[in-house]
Amino acid sequence: MTSTLRIVIVGGGSAGWMCAAACAQVLPPHRYSITLIESDEIGTVGVGEATLPALKDFNDLLGIDESEFMRETHGTFKLGIEFRDWDRRGQHYIHPFGSFGQLWGGVEFQHHWMRARERGLNPAPLEEYCGAIAACRRNAFDFPDTRSIRSTFYGYAYHFDAGLYAGFLRTWAIARGVQRIEGQVVGVAVNGESGNVETLTFKSGETLTGDFFVDCSGFRSLLLGEKLQVPWEDWSEWLPCDRAWAVPCERSADFTPFTRSIAQKGGWIWRIPLQHRTGNGHVFSTRFISEDEARATLLGQLDAPAQIEPRMLRFRAGRRAQAWRKNCVALGLASGFLEPLESTSLFLIQKAVQDMLRLIPAPESRGSDARLTREFNRQSDALYERIRDFLILHYVANRRVGEPLWDHVRSYPLPESLTHKLALFGSRGHVPYFKDGFFSRDSWLAVLFGQGLMPRTYDRLAEFMAVDQLAEKLRDLHECVATHAADMPTHAQLIARFCGQPPRSRAVST
Amino acid sequence: MSAPGHLAPRHLIVVGADAPAWLSACVLHYALAPAGVNVSVVELPSRLRPADLYASLPALEPLHTRLRIDESKLIGATRGAFTLGTMFTDTGGAPSFFHAYGSTGARIDKKEFLPHWIKARRAGFAVEFGEFCLTASAARHGRMLVPDAELESFGFTDYGYHLPAIPYAALLKQWAMRRGVLLHPARLAAARLDASGAIAGIDVDGRFVAGDFFIDASDDALLVGTALGVAAESWRSSFLADRALTAFAAPLPAPPVYSEVRACSSGWVALRASQACTHLLHAYSSESGSDDVALQTAARVARMDLRDATIWTLEPARRAHAWERNCVAVGAAACRFDPLHSVELQAVQIGLVHLLPLFPVAADHAVEQAEYNRNVGAAFERIRDFQVAHYLLNRYGESTFWQRARATPPGAALAHKIDAFRARGDVISYEDETFAIDDWQALLLGHGLLPESYDPAVDRTEPALVEREFRRILDFIRKKVSGQMTHAEYLQTVCASPHAGASSAARRIS
Repeated sequence: MTSTLRIVIVGGGSAGWMCAAACAQVLPPHRYSITLIESDEIGTVGVGEATLPALKDFNDLLGIDESEFMRETHGTFKLGIEFRDWDRRGQHYIHPFGSFGQLWGGVEFQHHWMRARERGLNPAPLEEYCGAIAACRRNAFDFPDTRSIRSTFYGYAYHFDAGLYAGFLRTWAIARGVQRIEGQVVGVAVNGESGNVETLTFKSGETLTGDFFVDCSGFRSLLLGEKLQVPWEDWSEWLPCDRAWAVPCERSADFTPFTRSIAQKGGWIWRIPLQHRTGNGHVFSTRFISEDEARATLLGQLDAPAQIEPRMLRFRAGRRAQAWRKNCVALGLASGFLEPLESTSLFLIQKAVQDMLRLIPAPESRGSDARLTREFNRQSDALYERIRDFLILHYVANRRVGEPLWDHVRSYPLPESLTHKLALFGSRGHVPYFKDGFFSRDSWLAVLFGQGLMPRTYDRLAEFMAVDQLAEKLRDLHECVATHAADMPTHAQLIARFCGQPPRSRAVST
Repeated sequence: MSAPGHLAPRHLIVVGADAPAWLSACVLHYALAPAGVNVSVVELPSRLRPADLYASLPALEPLHTRLRIDESKLIGATRGAFTLGTMFTDTGGAPSFFHAYGSTGARIDKKEFLPHWIKARRAGFAVEFGEFCLTASAARHGRMLVPDAELESFGFTDYGYHLPAIPYAALLKQWAMRRGVLLHPARLAAARLDASGAIAGIDVDGRFVAGDFFIDASDDALLVGTALGVAAESWRSSFLADRALTAFAAPLPAPPVYSEVRACSSGWVALRASQACTHLLHAYSSESGSDDVALQTAARVARMDLRDATIWTLEPARRAHAWERNCVAVGAAACRFDPLHSVELQAVQIGLVHLLPLFPVAADHAVEQAEYNRNVGAAFERIRDFQVAHYLLNRYGESTFWQRARATPPGAALAHKIDAFRARGDVISYEDETFAIDDWQALLLGHGLLPESYDPAVDRTEPALVEREFRRILDFIRKKVSGQMTHAEYLQTVCASPHAGASSAARRIS
């Protein structure tokens, strides 16, 4: 018996290498050994990736230099997501990584704003009280200044090439002692007594024994799904998209510090600006549109020529009933899939990796402790369900009447948790706060208002402020937000200065 | 469009007595008067016993601040005192521990303190976890701890009050009446229902007082229970103490700046200092002996002569839901807690703080009601869990009371929390917790629950660094404590100057 817990990571995409890198950084090497198996024969799903602000915390945990990371992955900055045509054609809004206005007298901003509307003060549109959106509207970016907040609070995330990120982390992890094995797993053996995964057999006939297994095998879910038979929970009635075409095109003049998501007849198109190209994709449901039509739709909407032939991905919305069973935890697509509408893919991996590192069994317990597993799964369930509700929200609150996909999502019964949230918002603009899970209250507000929902009234706690004072405060804030955004460099300028390489394609817009 | 919220409640009637009724009136008037809501109180005869005292949790201070209740006035008028937490001791000799209102230790190598301590402890380290708590250390040495910049950078510290219940209720009543809350003194009161089954008003000694929204702050749930028929669910199976006794004892020469709870064979005895005297509370099981025996026990355990003893029955129970139709129950009408942690005021505060952002803005408020009942119900359960854990994990010998207490059924949420802590030293913090991670750590470790493993990340920290940091923290605590005023000195300072109250640098906003 060794005193080291042998961790075996199966699969080397974003999930595998994020996990390996974090293990190498956090776990003590004399107690945990880390081996990652990947096969050159199996492709990874990685496409142009849009992320959430939490990814910076992950990179900081690894001690990765931000400008180096961005240069290596052709990264750009992201202040939010613009949703076009989601409510109805011609309506656009931005879900920012930042707050709307400020808390005045302990009362949330939306109540003050709604009160101003009801009282005839004619406030500006809600988005003009958000610093992050103001920056997006000008294609501007600057780092948040934590010392003197000039308008409203915001954070930022990245767009980058996920394949390059996985490669970057691979180099990083191998340099820190992660053992990489090239091989294709063809057999998984489980201990008859404990039910734990024990040994993997490769195509070459060789075997590998481990104590703790991380299933990063993608949709196949080789260990957790196929071997341990953890059932799949299907969410495709709520989230019917099941395919995506992905294709890069040349960088365009419209160099946005935000992701764009444009609703379509049978799904939606993403647009992710990287330093040298733009990532595009069409997420769609084969129940409502054919693969060929979806491909043509995507190619017809590129803002520059496609660089290669589009590739198609297949998926299904849902998750495994438990992300961790026995001595096996699944990360990324092996544990579940939610369409990338809110850029949650890497966040789901990151959160699971961080929870796993906190709850990984001690070497003495030989890879399995049901008490810790239960906590991991509790966290994972809360996160998946809250994100699921948030994604459904984008679909359900639409007014695209007469389009079959949009009619279906509008009429299909919602999870009770979401119905309740919609009713609370509808009654008085109230959005509950949660400690666990995602997204934040500000994010919910952005999408609820953005999708054209309007509460019947505001919270009466806002009445403490005199109407004149309210008008003045709104005016001041509005000006402050606009001035702050006007002072920022453009996204293109900042990228060139911070981490850029000489542009290969078109001139940078200024 | 009709005037916003014209069907929202305007006439709010609080029915009850003492601090629950008057705190409700103060808070609701403060928050809702600007919205045109008028508040009146149907005041029932007081149920307070002479020696009743509230040992408040830290959250009360920021609430007072919002109401502009001056701390020096509060302490002066009630002859109350400060408290930094509770010391739990045992007449049978089990180790004592402190549940202090502050954090323990400080981060080492950017990692939490507790796993470092668990690792050291498992290797034979002799210094108790509680020794690393600055707040507890100050309390043990009779020193008040006033937050300042240096303390803030070290950790979190806060304080509560010992408030004699009769003068505290009088102070709140005076505050409310001065600001225009209307008083209807009542010997008897009964709710009258309208045709729909909601409350139309209150019959007060033959007079009818009409209202459109009601707060049931009565001791026996006159409105929500008697009139509206919401049943109470007994918590008897979780709590063995069914009798309680309060009495006065002589003041101690140097008033302790904490509560002390002494376990004895039939239950426990709490000793809490005000400026005038010592307030004693003895909770016990009637199966362990008669009330006469209890009085003798209380005096023996306190080692003091007692006067003005009053005895009553404890019936821990929670109302199935606190908000029914147009009536919200707060305090004992909503939930009767075991008296161990003196959470009565805190429970009132929870009820009010949750009500404010959900107070009806229209005649229809079903969704607000559902949200409120779920959150407040959960908050009460989490407090119950904290109390149950104390009984369940006790090491107070083989008397029938404490032996049976060790068999208390924990419920699923608490069982999982204890399991996860035992396995990894990780405190699971659910939604709606009143007691924070620091509180749970103090409780679980205080009862001797040493986790079997710890966050593996700390194995990467040099042992020499950990040793150095342990010493530095203990030195800091020693120095800091010796520089603080004694509780007696501090009381004098606070009462002498109207604005010398501790500025709470570290606040729990709740």
